[in-house]
Amino acid sequence: MVATVKEIEMPKKPIPVVGSLKLMYSMGKYVFKKPVTTQYPEDKGKIPDRFRFRIFLVPEACVGCTLCSKICPNHSIKMENWDLDRSGLENNVVQTARGDRKNLQNKRNIYPDVNFGTCTVCRQCEEICPTDAIYLTHQFEDARTRNSFTYSPQELTMQEEDVIK
Amino acid sequence: MSLLFRIHQWFSFLGNFASYGLAYLIQSIVVLIFVALSFVALIYIFRKYMARIQRRIGPNRVGKFGLLQLIADALKLIGKESILPENRDDMAYKIAPVIVMIATILAFVLIPFGDLAYFGSLAVTHSKVTLVLMFGILSIIPIGEVLGGISTKSNYALLGTMRAVAKDISFEIPMMISVLAIVIVSSRSYVTGDAITGGLSLSGIVSNEIIPYGIIEPLGLLIFFISMIARASYSPFDLGESDSELISGYTTEYSGMRFGFFYIGLFGMVYLSSFLISLLYLGGSNGPYDSYVGFIYLFIKTDILVLISFLIWVAIPRIRIDKFVDLGWKYLLPLSMVNLVYAGLFVLYIR
Repeated sequence: MVATVKEIEMPKKPIPVVGSLKLMYSMGKYVFKKPVTTQYPEDKGKIPDRFRFRIFLVPEACVGCTLCSKICPNHSIKMENWDLDRSGLENNVVQTARGDRKNLQNKRNIYPDVNFGTCTVCRQCEEICPTDAIYLTHQFEDARTRNSFTYSPQELTMQEEDVIK
Repeated sequence: MSLLFRIHQWFSFLGNFASYGLAYLIQSIVVLIFVALSFVALIYIFRKYMARIQRRIGPNRVGKFGLLQLIADALKLIGKESILPENRDDMAYKIAPVIVMIATILAFVLIPFGDLAYFGSLAVTHSKVTLVLMFGILSIIPIGEVLGGISTKSNYALLGTMRAVAKDISFEIPMMISVLAIVIVSSRSYVTGDAITGGLSLSGIVSNEIIPYGIIEPLGLLIFFISMIARASYSPFDLGESDSELISGYTTEYSGMRFGFFYIGLFGMVYLSSFLISLLYLGGSNGPYDSYVGFIYLFIKTDILVLISFLIWVAIPRIRIDKFVDLGWKYLLPLSMVNLVYAGLFVLYIR
């Protein structure tokens, strides 16, 4: 027996003329529509009202309870020592994001220290903070050349421009 | 009155001989500048148009609206090192892009651009066989492509060249036959029924073309349009340089300004093919008051065709080489024969 070799037959498909015309029509429509690209540095696009990124700290309101560092799912928050002078407050009243707080003390002198390299902005620290010392803001433009993404408690109180200096 | 005589008039104080010499020189330079500017504009328009179809913005950083982007690109191409492959055939390698470039520019000289108010006819070449010359020049371009592909001794370039040659032989015969049908139709005036001359020159065809030939023979228009897409080798039929399969076909080993020549040849061919279709099939510069604004009619028709070509380029994916050869020999060639017979019958029986 001699084995016969079968020729492979190419599937016969005609060139889709009507489909091509439909394609041209559906793509040609987009010429008259607005481009979706936003030109980032000049045009920042729409940022939703409830968008939050950068973490700030009101140091006088922090009581050093370490709850934020315990709830943080990525261990981005660690507590750090900072000898802050709290004596300059009038009547011991601190203004926070959700109203005034009275008679707050931080006897161990520990404050949160956030690593933004691993922060996923889950906002659990803001939610659990008993005195509203940690709060998140609209600011998101904190990209710069650096080796460390960690913000010390002092840096958490500053605006971004001051941190870069 | 034509452009040549107008320039001759301006310089008539120099005497007959000198003024004619200057006039020829200046009108050639005017055409060259027009061609170069339109290439630059065309590439800019293509990039913007493609961006809008893909809902992007396109070039917008260099100059206002990115208008200087093309000049920046050209400077970059000139400044780039031209890398020469080691096993090349030197003469053929260096001459190939120049052939493509020169043939593309030379073809623009033969186009009758129509009339413009003060200058009169803008046609540069006053020959009686411009149609023959035009398609002669169009058949020079494949020589450049084949030389460029073979001389580099690169496998990708060789494959690309083989595809390009297979593409060329399958569409050029239908293209020439559909042009022949145009010559037959334009040999007799379909208004009065008299035999008329000038059928082998583009300007003669345009002057006989009171109703566009695209209406009389739509089949010929279809065949010629497909052939011109294949000649310019853009997206559905860009088999020669199919850049997603063969790196860039016969232009693989070219860099710097030599690649720029091939690129300019591609865009010039898109523009030239739009000019040819609007001259042969869409009535060219004919229209109301065409002795004043004929050039503008031709220009508008050409630019609309360019936009349609770009849309085809962006929208339709490449077809396989065997399907294209099938299309050429099994469909386009018989259809063009039918079109030729139809054109003969039309000339015989329509008075």
